[in-house]
Amino acid sequence: MKALFGSRPELARVRRDAFVHGIRIVAPLTLATATWGVVTGVAMVKVGLTTAQAIGMSLLVFSGSAQLASLPLIAAAAPIWVVLLTAFVINLRFVIFSAGLQPFFRRLALRKRLLLAYFIIDFSFAMFLSRFSDTSDDERGTTEQIWFFLGMAAYSWIIWQATSIAGILLAAQVPTEWGLEFASIIALIAMTIPMIIGKPALVGAMTAGVVAVIAAGLPLKLGLLVAVVAGIAAAMSAELVLGKREAKH
Amino acid sequence: MSALEIWLLIIGLTLITQLMRSTFLLFGDRFRLPERVQHGLRYAPVCALIALITPELFVNQGALDISMSNPKLVAGIVAALSTLVLRSMIATIALGMLVFATLQMLA
Repeated sequence: MKALFGSRPELARVRRDAFVHGIRIVAPLTLATATWGVVTGVAMVKVGLTTAQAIGMSLLVFSGSAQLASLPLIAAAAPIWVVLLTAFVINLRFVIFSAGLQPFFRRLALRKRLLLAYFIIDFSFAMFLSRFSDTSDDERGTTEQIWFFLGMAAYSWIIWQATSIAGILLAAQVPTEWGLEFASIIALIAMTIPMIIGKPALVGAMTAGVVAVIAAGLPLKLGLLVAVVAGIAAAMSAELVLGKREAKH
Repeated sequence: MSALEIWLLIIGLTLITQLMRSTFLLFGDRFRLPERVQHGLRYAPVCALIALITPELFVNQGALDISMSNPKLVAGIVAALSTLVLRSMIATIALGMLVFATLQMLA
């Protein structure tokens, strides 16, 4: 325990309490995270990654959405830059997350900031900000906040890696006839639909979906990029139109 | 892809993901994204994820296939409905795969 929370009893208690609190907050998500981890693990192997590559990807990248998104492209032998560009677009939300967490982590040393950055995931970010966004500037960056984040991060990381690696190791036992590669697409559906919040997002998603199908034949998977640009443009246009209509009433 | 290409890809994905998670934690207060750009970026992940999904469902062996005999499309629709109604990832994956496997067996 001392190794984790330090040897000063007062400080160690604050750290431990905040850490445990963080774990309690993410614990209800254990089953969902575990399912997700197993499916991602199996899917990585089913598109042809070796056990070492799949475990490496899981430990290094540690982003279910970026990993799952890259798999259909790897299966289709898309050029590497197309896969990287896709991951870039999927990861754009992390830029926003990092901006949200910056006021809390900015006083820490660079290597600590980089370590915390590795652990940023959608749910932890949302829970952290919903809890602490009302604080004033000098109340940000407390020991309690940092260790609360670490508790969420550590628990999520362990569940994710354990189940993902279990999926990787079990994948060989799963017959190909089950079509489990398709499970990654189903998982993407289960992940994406709850993200469509509000009418502009719905318009954007539908536009991107239709454009992606129409442009599916474009070389280098460029249809994906075209679809994303069209989707964002449609969502922002929808915002303008809907915003004006609301202003009239 | 060759083994080397896969490893390069994994390293590339690692660097991109870590850098993007670190963006503002590295820059500190020195740099801020314009409000409008931040706003537009909000829609990017959803659009990209949907754009990855729909071709997998609607395009069957290189051709558009909007029919009930396309198992991926039917399973995808079931999964989408299940997500909306049941709001459970486990149920959605189980149901979607069950429909997909059944339809494939029947085909």
